[in-house]
Amino acid sequence: MQPGSNRAEPSSSATNRRTAELFAEHQNGIYRRTDRMFAGLMLFQWVAGIAAALWISPRTWIGTQSRIHFHVFAAVVIGGAITSLPVWLAWKKPGHTITRHVIAIGQMLTSALLIHLTGGRIETHFHVFGSLAFLAIYRDWRVLVSATVVVAVDHFARGVFWPQSVFGVLTTSPWRWVEHAGWVVFEDFFLMISIRQSVKEMHLVSERQARLEAINESIEQQVQARTRELEQTHKQLVETSRQAGMAEVATNVLHNVGNVLNSINVSVGKLSDRLSKSNFGHVGKVAELMRERTADLGDFMTKDAKGRQLPSFLEQLAEQLGKENAFILNELGSLTKNVDHVKDIVAMQQSYSKVSGVTEIVKATELVEDALRMNASALTRHEVQFFREYDENLPDLNVEKHKVLQILVNLIRNAKYACDESGLEEKRLTMRVTNGSDKVRIVLIDNGIGIPAENLTRIFSYGFTTKKDGHGFGLHGGALSAREMGGSLSAQSDGLGKGAAFTLELPYKARNGAEGAIPL
Amino acid sequence: MALGGLWLGTVLIGMYLVLAYANSAGKSGSPPRNWPEASLLRHDSKLPTLVMFLHPQCPCSKATVGELALLMAHSQGRVATHVFFLQPTELATNWALTDLWKESQRIPGVTVQCDYAGREARLFGAEASGETALYDATGRLLFHGGITISRGHSGDNLGHDTLQALLMGNPAPSANTSVYGCSLFDCKQEGNP
Repeated sequence: MQPGSNRAEPSSSATNRRTAELFAEHQNGIYRRTDRMFAGLMLFQWVAGIAAALWISPRTWIGTQSRIHFHVFAAVVIGGAITSLPVWLAWKKPGHTITRHVIAIGQMLTSALLIHLTGGRIETHFHVFGSLAFLAIYRDWRVLVSATVVVAVDHFARGVFWPQSVFGVLTTSPWRWVEHAGWVVFEDFFLMISIRQSVKEMHLVSERQARLEAINESIEQQVQARTRELEQTHKQLVETSRQAGMAEVATNVLHNVGNVLNSINVSVGKLSDRLSKSNFGHVGKVAELMRERTADLGDFMTKDAKGRQLPSFLEQLAEQLGKENAFILNELGSLTKNVDHVKDIVAMQQSYSKVSGVTEIVKATELVEDALRMNASALTRHEVQFFREYDENLPDLNVEKHKVLQILVNLIRNAKYACDESGLEEKRLTMRVTNGSDKVRIVLIDNGIGIPAENLTRIFSYGFTTKKDGHGFGLHGGALSAREMGGSLSAQSDGLGKGAAFTLELPYKARNGAEGAIPL
Repeated sequence: MALGGLWLGTVLIGMYLVLAYANSAGKSGSPPRNWPEASLLRHDSKLPTLVMFLHPQCPCSKATVGELALLMAHSQGRVATHVFFLQPTELATNWALTDLWKESQRIPGVTVQCDYAGREARLFGAEASGETALYDATGRLLFHGGITISRGHSGDNLGHDTLQALLMGNPAPSANTSVYGCSLFDCKQEGNP
């Protein structure tokens, strides 16, 4: 399957709708921002106009008398009037069509006023062209039309009423205003091209964003579906591992019980053999001989050769029967011991077969001892010597006992296997329990075959095993369980033939609802 | 919509007032047809003589000085130019020494002087700041009026064009023009600003 082949392709109609939404949103954002910008600009222009009037023409004179110049009133009152509605609309109705058109008209009227206030300076006429460029920020060509109409009407009206005020000469052509407006249209033309391109790009950006959103949504849905599947798989895996761990313990139990049963079988065989060869029958023969000679038992015991040997025979028989009795008692004692051992193992297994999730206060060393006990027979049979190195004053653990035991039983089993594989005569397993900063550390150190560096992390992967009859559940499940309990399981080895150390760290206190993601 | 209409109406009325003010001319002067004998200034006997009367505080006259500078730049050596700044006797002597005075002084070929109590202005019949009169070498009046298009507005205008034509020896488009500037003299009945 190709990656993403099952990805739902967003429908074009939905994408088109979203594109239109995003475009409108983007456009509205530009309108609002530009409205605000012009509101600030127009307020600034108003103040600047007043300042210009006060600077250039503060007073008008009649001989030696003066009064405030008309331009100052014009800057304050007319400038304020021009500024008022655009600013109010930008404040109250930002983004509305009427707002930007009123702003465009107001801006052009401001140009006209400023031109007058500055004495018709040519430089101030640049305000008209600058304002058109600013208005292009709206990316709405209609706004430029409104502004241009104001300029054209202004020139036309002034050309009609005061022709010299616009064109400088009284004898100007009545169509001169068209020429002036034409220069404005000239700028408009290029600004409109720019606006058209900008709007096109905005549309493209919106379309891309809409597609991206649709793809993201699709991916998000897939991720959620995959996450659900992974969670399900994880649960199954945890359950499988737990069951595998239980099976591991059960196998160990059965293995140990089997070993003890062998001993019991041997004892029973010995007893049967001993009983079948017992001299107990001689007692009957002596009794029968004495019954036959009841009449002359005294003569028989004193004069007959057999009779005279009878007491010493009975003494030897009693001695032999005593030995047999001792042997049988000894074997029976062994049998009882072995049967008790079986009972202990079964009882231990039952104590660890409790429901998962229940934590108990336990001592780490007791768990280690239980695990050793369950493997004791196997370790002895495989001639693995085990040593204990326990710190004193170890804190109690609040953990799920059966999980810890599963891990330890599995680690001991692996150590025994590793020792067998090493071929060494002296097989050693050290159980070290130490007190960490906030955890108890249980380290199993063997001098077995060791682990190659490349396998140090792989050994915890699901299904990874180096044993012929292994299934790859043990360490994986152990690591999962350790993680679930807020601890960890790790391995160290200097390589093949150099032994290995497995460290199980368990927190003092139970992890609250701990069942995080297991990155294995 | 009504609000928009009200706004537009208010603004248009305001702009109309601004334009109307800008195009309201000052009181026209009435210079004598011949150079006044009582004037302390003698006209040039070889060149035309241009006299201009300015109110030193008039903001509109800045444009007039600008136009004069342009005219002088195009008429080097063709005219003797004298600019008179009103200096009322009751005011401090530095009242006339404004930026306008300094700008006028900087124009090559222009002689700037104070017109105490507006004596010369009265002799030449000037009423508003910016009044300009051109006399030929014989002392005959050729032109009088303003050399700006409106109050305080520089740019091509009939007065400037007429003076330039006369100095170049070409036919004059007009004999007189409106003057846009402050009144030189206190006069309640003038009604000008």
